[in-house]
Amino acid sequence: MKQTLASPVPHRSSLVRRYQFVALFFAAAAVAIVAQMIRLQISPDAIELRSRGQLYTQELHTFFPARGEIRDRWGNVLAGNQTVYEIGVDLQTRSRNPETIAFTLSRVLSTHAEYNRPEYYDSVFTAASRQPISGTVYAVLADYVTETEVAEIRRWSQEYEQLYQDRADDKNRQTLQGLIIRPHLMRVYPEKDLASGVIGFVNRQGEGFFGVEARYNPLLAGEPQTLPMSTDPTRAQQLPAIPDGATLILTLDREIQRMAEQVLDDAIVANGAEGGSVVILDPRNGEILAMVSTPRLDLNQYWQYSDIFPGATPFNRAVSRDYEPGSVYKVLTMAGALDSGAVKPETTFLDTGSFAIGGYYIHNWNWGAWGEQNMTGCMQHSLNVCLAWVASQMGTDIFYSYMQKFGIGRLTGIDLDGEVPGRLKIPGDSDWYDVELGTNSFGQGVAVTPLQLSAAIASVANQGEMMSPHIVMAYVENGQQYTIPPRPISHPISAETAHTLTEMLAVSLEDEASDALVPGYRVAGKTGTASIAGPTGLYDSDLTNASFVGWGPVDDPRFLIYVWIEKPTSSPWGSVVAAPIFSQLAQRLVVLLNLPPDTIRLAMAAQASTTP
Amino acid sequence: MQQSAWRHFDYWLLGAVAILTILGVAMIRSTVAENIELANHPQRQMIFAGIGFVFVFIAAAIDYHLWASLSTTIYVGTVVVLATLYVVGTAAFGSARWFEAGVINIQPSEIAKIVVILTLSSFFTRNRERIKQFSWLMRSLVMAVGVVIWILLQPNMSTSIVIMVLWFALAWASGMRFQHILILAGIGLLLILISIPLFPILRDAKVINQYQIDRINNFIAPDEAATHGENYNINQALISIGSGGLMGQGYGHGTQVQLRFLKVRWSDFIFSAMANEFGFVGIAVMMLLQLFVIYRCLRAARIAMDTYGALICFGVATLLAFQGMVNIGVNLRLLPATGLPLPFISYGGSSLLSLLLGIGLVESVVLRHKVLEF
Repeated sequence: MKQTLASPVPHRSSLVRRYQFVALFFAAAAVAIVAQMIRLQISPDAIELRSRGQLYTQELHTFFPARGEIRDRWGNVLAGNQTVYEIGVDLQTRSRNPETIAFTLSRVLSTHAEYNRPEYYDSVFTAASRQPISGTVYAVLADYVTETEVAEIRRWSQEYEQLYQDRADDKNRQTLQGLIIRPHLMRVYPEKDLASGVIGFVNRQGEGFFGVEARYNPLLAGEPQTLPMSTDPTRAQQLPAIPDGATLILTLDREIQRMAEQVLDDAIVANGAEGGSVVILDPRNGEILAMVSTPRLDLNQYWQYSDIFPGATPFNRAVSRDYEPGSVYKVLTMAGALDSGAVKPETTFLDTGSFAIGGYYIHNWNWGAWGEQNMTGCMQHSLNVCLAWVASQMGTDIFYSYMQKFGIGRLTGIDLDGEVPGRLKIPGDSDWYDVELGTNSFGQGVAVTPLQLSAAIASVANQGEMMSPHIVMAYVENGQQYTIPPRPISHPISAETAHTLTEMLAVSLEDEASDALVPGYRVAGKTGTASIAGPTGLYDSDLTNASFVGWGPVDDPRFLIYVWIEKPTSSPWGSVVAAPIFSQLAQRLVVLLNLPPDTIRLAMAAQASTTP
Repeated sequence: MQQSAWRHFDYWLLGAVAILTILGVAMIRSTVAENIELANHPQRQMIFAGIGFVFVFIAAAIDYHLWASLSTTIYVGTVVVLATLYVVGTAAFGSARWFEAGVINIQPSEIAKIVVILTLSSFFTRNRERIKQFSWLMRSLVMAVGVVIWILLQPNMSTSIVIMVLWFALAWASGMRFQHILILAGIGLLLILISIPLFPILRDAKVINQYQIDRINNFIAPDEAATHGENYNINQALISIGSGGLMGQGYGHGTQVQLRFLKVRWSDFIFSAMANEFGFVGIAVMMLLQLFVIYRCLRAARIAMDTYGALICFGVATLLAFQGMVNIGVNLRLLPATGLPLPFISYGGSSLLSLLLGIGLVESVVLRHKVLEF
C-alpha cells in the first residue's frame, strides 16, 4: 500500500520540529567552532602559535666573507682564494640516472686521489640512488672540483642530452639531470712551500693553523654575519654586503725568502745536516725579510703535514724550537760588559786555558791557552775562558739584568703562531748554580730561538735599540690600509757600545779572514758552535749546532742574518759550516736589496753632503 | 511550470553560494601559486563551478517529484556504478575513488550523497506512517548501507560517515522513535567493541586502513615531536590560523600558505589557508555565508509544499552543515583528521558539482513551494 508524496500539514510541522533537534546539534557544533577560533586567537597558545609561524618564515643564514689574502711586501700573493665547486645531486629529480652520474664523476675526477678509487663509483651510485626521505633532498658527491673539470662535466651533460634528444621518455635514458654544481672559495698558495713555516695553512673547515694563518685568523676570516633571511622566495631581500677578510701585507720579500730557502736547502745537503733555519731581518725596524725553516710543506696539500713533520718536528723552528746557541751568544755577553763598563775593548786578559767558577773549570774550544788577549781577540778566537772571566767581572746581577733587557727567556712577541720563550735560568731559580754565569757567557746552559737571538743582537746593529720583530707590515680592511708602525721594545745598550762592538766584530772577522766576509761590504759577525746536551743533560754527543750571526754594512747596518745548521756532519764548527752560508746569503741579499758596495755608497753619500 | 514561478527562485541562496564558490576559486589560486603541477587547479575548479551553476538551473527547472518516481532506477544505477568501480578499480589501480570520464574525473561517491538524499527522502515520505516500526526503519538502514558498503570498501571512511549521518538525520526528522535510536546505538556500540579485536583483520581486508587508526591515535595522544604526518599537518593548520590574527596576512601573502608548510592547503586545509591570509574576520564572513546558505535550505524545508520536498532540503542542509563543521573542526583540532571538503570552497570538482546539484534541488523545492499568495 503506497502513500502519496503529498503530505498533510500536521506531519510536515512535526518534521520541522524534529529536524530542529538536528539543527540544535549543528548549532552546538558551531558554537564550539567559534569558541575554538577565538581561543586560538587570544589564549596563551596563540602567542606560541604566532611565534612559531614567524619562525617558519625566516631562516638564519650565515654568510662567510672571502678569506683575506696574504701578500709579501711588494704585493706578491702568497695565499689567495680560488673558486672551486661542490658537486651534489638533487634527490627529488625523478629523471636522474645514478649510473650515468657515477660513471661521469668517476671518469672526470680521476685526477683527484680521493676519487680515483674503484669504490668511488659505488659510493656515488648509492648516494645518487637514495630516495629523498625526511627532508634530505641533497647529497654531496664531490668537492674541490676545478673549473676545467666542471666544464668537462657540463660538456658530458650536453652530449647526453643531445644523444637522447628524441628519446626523452626512455626509461634507461642516460642523463646528468639532477646534478647540482655549487661554487665556493678554496685557499690556494701559489708559491706552494715558499715560507710555509711563516704562512701556515687553512683546512677545509676554514680554520687557520700555524704562522700568520693561525695568528691572524680572525682578521683574515673576517666577520661572518648571521642574518634572518626570508624563506619566501617571492619576497625580495637584499643580500648583505659582507666585507672580505683583511688582506695581510707581510714584511717578507718573496725573492729574498726564495733565495734564503735555496741557500739553506743546499747547505743542509752539502753539510749533511739534520735541519736548519735562517732569519733575515732589518735591524732598523724589526721587519722580517725572510724566515726559513726546514722541512717545508706544500701548503696546498696540508694533509701531508703529519708525514712531513713527524713527532715533535716544529713547523717553524725559527720561532718554535729553542736550542743552546753557543758562541754567537758571546755578542750579548760582550755587549753587556762593554756597556756596563766592566771591560773596554783594549782590556787585556791572560788566558791560561782554564777559569774556575762555581767549583768548575771552564776551558776553551781547543782546550788551549791563548795567552794575553784583548777583548777583540777574545771574540775573534771565541775564547770561553775569556768570556767567563768577562762575565765574572760584570757579576751575576749586571749580567742577568742585561740578558733580560735583551729579552732572553721571554717571547719576542712576534706575530706568528707557536713562538716559544726559550729558557734563561737566573740566580734564585732552583736549578741555577754559580757555574751558570760562566757557561751562559758563551751560550751554553741557556736556550734561545733563532728569532730571539736575532732580535736581541739586532740591537747591536741598530744603535743599541731593540725593535719588536714582526712579520705583518700592514693590513688592508674595507679598502683602508692600516700600517703597523715599527715599535722599539728595549734599549739594552748605548749607541756607542753598539758601534764599538760592531767594529770589534768586523775587525775580528777581517783579521782571521773569515769565510763569512762579503766582498765589497764590511760586515760584523760571530760564529757559534754549541755542544748538544743529551737527554741526561751531559754533553756526550759529537754533534753540534753550528750558528752564525752577522750584520752589515757596518757603518749603517741594513740587514741582520742569523744562520742555524742543526747537527752538521761535514764539520762540527760554526766557522766552517755556518760562516760561508752567511756570506752566500749576504752576497745575494745585497743584490736583492739594491745595496751598493760600501765604496760606492760612501762616495755617493760624500757627494750628496758636499753638493750645495 | 509557469514562467511566473521563477520569481520565487531563491536568489539569496544562489548569491551566497556563488560568493562562496568564487571565494573558493580565489583561495585555491593563492594556495597553488608558483606550483606548476597544481597550476591548473583554479581553472578546473572554475570549469566545474560553471557546469555546476548550469546544473542548479536545470535541477531547479525540473520538478523534484520526478526523482521520486525514478527513485528505484537511480538507486540501483548508483549501486551498480559503485560496485563496478570497486571491482574494476581495485583490479586496476588499488584505489578506486575515481571514475575517469574523459578529461573530467567524476567521483561517484560524491554524487552518491545526493542520490542517497533523494532516495531516502522518497522512501521516508512514502512510508512516513510505518517508519515508527523497527522493521521499516531497518529497511531504510539497509538502503543506506547498500550504498555505503561500496564506498567503505573503496576505502572512503569520511564519505561513508556523511551518508550514515544523512540517513540518521532524515530518519530522525521522519519520526524515528527514540527507543529505536537507543537500540541501534547499543548494537553499534556492540559492533565496535567486537570489531576492535578484529582491527588487524579488517585492516588486512582493506576495510580500514592503518592511517585511519593512526589518525585517531594521533588525535587522542598527539606526538609532539612529529614533523610530518597527520600531527604535523594539524599543527601547521593551527599555526596558520594563529598567525593569521584578526585581519590575516593578506591575500597571496600568507606565509604558511605561500611557503607550503600547509599540506593539501587547496582542499582539506583550505580553511587554515584562508585564516592565514584573511584572518579571523575573513573566516567569520565565510562561516556566516555558510550558515546563511544552510539557513536558506532550512527555510526552503519549512515552506516546502510537501514532506518529500522538505526532506530533500533537510538532507542538503545536513550535508552542508556536517561537511563544513567536520572540515573546520579538523582544522581547529576539534576532531581527528578526515578528508571532508569545506563546502563550495575546497578544491574538488565532484564535490562542488554534487553540492551545486543539491542547491538546485533545494531551488526546485522553493520554486514549487506552497504558495500563500493572496
